[in-house]
Amino acid sequence: MATGNMKDIKRRIKSVSSTRQITKAMELVASSKLRKAKQRSENGRPYFEAQYELLSEIASVKKDFSTIFTEPREVKNRLFIVIAGDRGLAGGFNSNILKFAVAAHKDDAEKPKIIAIGRKAVDYFEKHGYDVVGKYPYFAEKAKTGNCMDIAQIAVDLFAVGEVDEVELFYTAFVSPLVQTPESAKLLPIANIGEGTGEDNGLITYDPSPEAVFDRVVPKFVMSMISCAVVESFASEQGARRTAMESATDNADEMIANLSLVYNRARQEKITNEITEIVSGANALS
Amino acid sequence: MTPFKLQIITPDGVFFDGMTDNVIVRTTVGDKGILAHHEPYVAAITISKFKVRIDGEFRYAAISSGVIKVSKDKTVILAQSCEWADEIDVERAVRAKQVAEERISTYEKTNDQKNLDIAEFKLKRALNRIEIAKLK
Repeated sequence: MATGNMKDIKRRIKSVSSTRQITKAMELVASSKLRKAKQRSENGRPYFEAQYELLSEIASVKKDFSTIFTEPREVKNRLFIVIAGDRGLAGGFNSNILKFAVAAHKDDAEKPKIIAIGRKAVDYFEKHGYDVVGKYPYFAEKAKTGNCMDIAQIAVDLFAVGEVDEVELFYTAFVSPLVQTPESAKLLPIANIGEGTGEDNGLITYDPSPEAVFDRVVPKFVMSMISCAVVESFASEQGARRTAMESATDNADEMIANLSLVYNRARQEKITNEITEIVSGANALS
Repeated sequence: MTPFKLQIITPDGVFFDGMTDNVIVRTTVGDKGILAHHEPYVAAITISKFKVRIDGEFRYAAISSGVIKVSKDKTVILAQSCEWADEIDVERAVRAKQVAEERISTYEKTNDQKNLDIAEFKLKRALNRIEIAKLK
């Protein structure tokens, strides 16, 4: 084999191993971010659960209880809150959730309004001509619950004035570090409020009234739903990226192994050739 | 006095979980003191000073809007944020106050009611924190 070929192989090994360095580093970064995100998601859970409990308890108190947030309406316009990532290289993470959201409204006459969280979601929905009422790129990683309040407020306001009749949340559920599935949840109107514990029924004093407390709790509830979903999606993104980068690193390792084998074979062959040439040259002289 | 169980839960986690014998909060309809064996009660809390007696001593905390729920076995407070007086980051609150004041003056000119409300809410919260930090 010619020396030119050997040079090519050597160059390829070098390029693959520098790519491998990058993917390996991304894998490590993703797994450390994943750990933090999981922690955050666990911290937020008690608040969310307590809130849900409270909401369902109030709802179960009065049979004739109704506010604008509980009454189902005829659905004409919908609002989608879609949470995707800020960066690519996370396997199918971004395209899965975006496809999922698009599939959810394919039977509707009109495109839904969108609140896009994450740069990939903002880019996608702007490019495809949606009415994007809220843009939150580079949001998830540093998201504080206070910031989610802004989003919740937009959604609640649009719902309260009747511009949208339904609010749906699209996020990626974190099943395990290896499995993430896109999911959706209806935020408004609050449809499936549970039965509550029932023990305090009718005995609780609501100050000033159940409706007033309920109307105050609902935006908070929407907020904590969004914030939980943002944190969970972020954990999913990191999980997806880690898996993608892990397999990229493995592939790079395999490629390097194969290329080194070819390289070594070529090198050996070259040496053998040279020895044969020298020996035959020496033989010819003697 | 008879102690009872109090939980304070914020979106960042469980802020407090323990026994107390006296809680004083400001609800939308006025100040409210909770002792043991209080009737079941639910009310919304405004941005305010929050007083709780733990081991015979009153502690102060800055609380921003939330809900208090008193039930038979425990009292739960759900708040957007909650900090003990000695844990408040005063510098940050002062900065937040300045930013909020600037925003209020710009939004007043443009008549942007929605953003004005948000800025006022933030200003209230910052003032509340600065106030309570003095109590430590």
